[in-house]
Amino acid sequence: MDLAVGTNLDRFVIIVYFVIVMGFGAYFGKYSKTTSDYFFGGRRFSWWLITISIVATGIGSHSFVKYSTKAYQYGFSSTMTYMNDWFFMPLFMFGWLPIIYYTRVGSIPEYFEKRFNKTARSLATLMILVYMIGYIAIQFLTLATALYRIYGIPLMATVVIIAVATTIYMHFGGQTSVIFTDLFQGLILIFSGLLLFFLGLNYLADHTALGGLQAFWQNLTPDQKLPLAHFNRPPDFNFVGIFWQDGIAGSVGFLFLNQGLIMRFMAARSVNEGRKAAAFNVLLVLPISAIVVSNAGWIGRAIANAVPGALPAGMEGNDVFVAVTNVVSSPGVFGFIIAALCAALMSTADTLVNASSAIIVNDVYRPLAKKKTNDKEQLKIARFTSIGVKVIAVILVPFFNSFDSIYEAHGWFHSTFTPPLVVAVFLGIFWKRFTTPAVIATFVLGAALMILGQFFPELVKPFSHGIELRPGRGYYYIGALYNIAVCAGVGVIVSLFTDPEPKEKLKGLTLSDVNLLREIFKGSKPNDRLGEGVTVLWKLIDSEEDIVCFSKHEMDKMAAEVGDLVYVSDSRKWLGGLKSIHSVYGEPHEEEGIVYISEEQLGHGQFVKDKSLIAEKEM
Amino acid sequence: MLDFSRTWLPFLYLYGVGGIAFIVGMILILRTKALNKEIAHHRIWLKVLYFGFGFYITLHAVFILLALGSS
Repeated sequence: MDLAVGTNLDRFVIIVYFVIVMGFGAYFGKYSKTTSDYFFGGRRFSWWLITISIVATGIGSHSFVKYSTKAYQYGFSSTMTYMNDWFFMPLFMFGWLPIIYYTRVGSIPEYFEKRFNKTARSLATLMILVYMIGYIAIQFLTLATALYRIYGIPLMATVVIIAVATTIYMHFGGQTSVIFTDLFQGLILIFSGLLLFFLGLNYLADHTALGGLQAFWQNLTPDQKLPLAHFNRPPDFNFVGIFWQDGIAGSVGFLFLNQGLIMRFMAARSVNEGRKAAAFNVLLVLPISAIVVSNAGWIGRAIANAVPGALPAGMEGNDVFVAVTNVVSSPGVFGFIIAALCAALMSTADTLVNASSAIIVNDVYRPLAKKKTNDKEQLKIARFTSIGVKVIAVILVPFFNSFDSIYEAHGWFHSTFTPPLVVAVFLGIFWKRFTTPAVIATFVLGAALMILGQFFPELVKPFSHGIELRPGRGYYYIGALYNIAVCAGVGVIVSLFTDPEPKEKLKGLTLSDVNLLREIFKGSKPNDRLGEGVTVLWKLIDSEEDIVCFSKHEMDKMAAEVGDLVYVSDSRKWLGGLKSIHSVYGEPHEEEGIVYISEEQLGHGQFVKDKSLIAEKEM
Repeated sequence: MLDFSRTWLPFLYLYGVGGIAFIVGMILILRTKALNKEIAHHRIWLKVLYFGFGFYITLHAVFILLALGSS
């Protein structure tokens, strides 16, 4: 279809948006001084900042395009994948989150080495990198699909331009830039998604004799209003297949294995702040996000039913979002909404790129480096690695462009690459008996059985729940169930026939040891006496140690002892912890209302002269 | 035609199979005391976890009923 969209004003708005985000991201580069800052933002942010940043990560540009397509075809059931994440929250919030936070692992593969061995780490590194770089390629493809229609630049050239633009702020800023640009972009994309819904309702009100909401509701069939798809029909969009591919493999993959998301939680100032971010995200933000990403399709369907001919004839699935936006919005506003699509891409891609370079530095470079490099050199390598990751992602774009739709490309990708990792990480955390030979067999033998399933669909048939087999394409989504079953089967059987791991090796790495983790993290028994926060001013002292000192009275108020852990932040809550440090209580002094800090701590916390700080005991 | 496979079967499957995952998760974190009911803020988290499950069941059920009501 020839879809000519956008005016010069729209093109201008999109370019201005790109420039603002790049400048915003580059500004926050000054907060990245070490690899810990670059990858984890210094573990200092408040839950609300992490939440909005997760929104921007979770909603990719592919989300707008693929969910609008399915929303147009099938109605409200396009929201299924946003509304099935609560089942694993208990295990995530009270199992995996404390394990990764308190063991201070730099990456998920590092956990595999601690829990199993180096071979398991190498295999996990390879699989996670393939998963994330493929994900980045899908993001590039989606945004390019939208933008090349507006600017008339060839698709692959558009992909390269987008990759360069995101590189600029990522290169300098790392995770702090990612979190702050994501805060900005998360708000923009939620606002513009809801704005599009509002504009769509207005359009319906103007073209029918009914109010907007009434016209919207009445022009959808009962079938299109159901929140879940048909149980097993059609093969390219059915409930049970998508449940196993997204609700199980996808949810566990996203919550437990997405290094980008894990790094977000590790940037939280504490485990409890991470829990708040996770709960708030799934309970409130995901349902809103479902509306944000799908509503163009619902509005498009209602317009097609109420105002025949308003949308271009022969519109292709992937064009629904752009076509509907073009119809319901005015020049300039269209550009703004497409800029939100850019926001979605940049915020997801930057997270994944940062996460991929974290894995490459942590799990490839550090173990292989013959001589010990300092943090500055590693930071330099991390920055250049992020460029390499983007180059590979750009090369992969044509492969994903060969699928019928982005929804199917994404579905195939999830159901194929996540199951061995999902099984390995799940059994690793929650089953102490899961052994090292078993995890390697899960990766190698499990993957071999999965490949067999791709070539011989009759192996998948017993798991198909009656879904029709598409000749030449196999079982798309329900393949995830077969893949999980064979990987889990291999893992359990090999575990039962091999010797259990020594107890000492598993200390602090499985769910049953979660209570020990805080002690391991602190290095001594946690102090859980209830205290209160104190407001103080800072004073520089000449010290090389990572300690901060308060007056005796303030230590008593905080119920703190020398050697306990403390969090000190700028008292302006709206900064979300940007200006803050973690440290250890030193010996008390006599100056009330003053905290002694070192030059290095001042540089790290970026505290401002005469601005008060709030100090709280952590444990 | 909105038959059982289109309306309530996906709902029952979602909260049946998903419910098993949720309950197993709750049992594991309570048994290992990863979620310790003796700690005040953990008791709040326990309520939040049950509330979340109930929230999504209710949301899906209400939308199915609304769709059926409009047929």
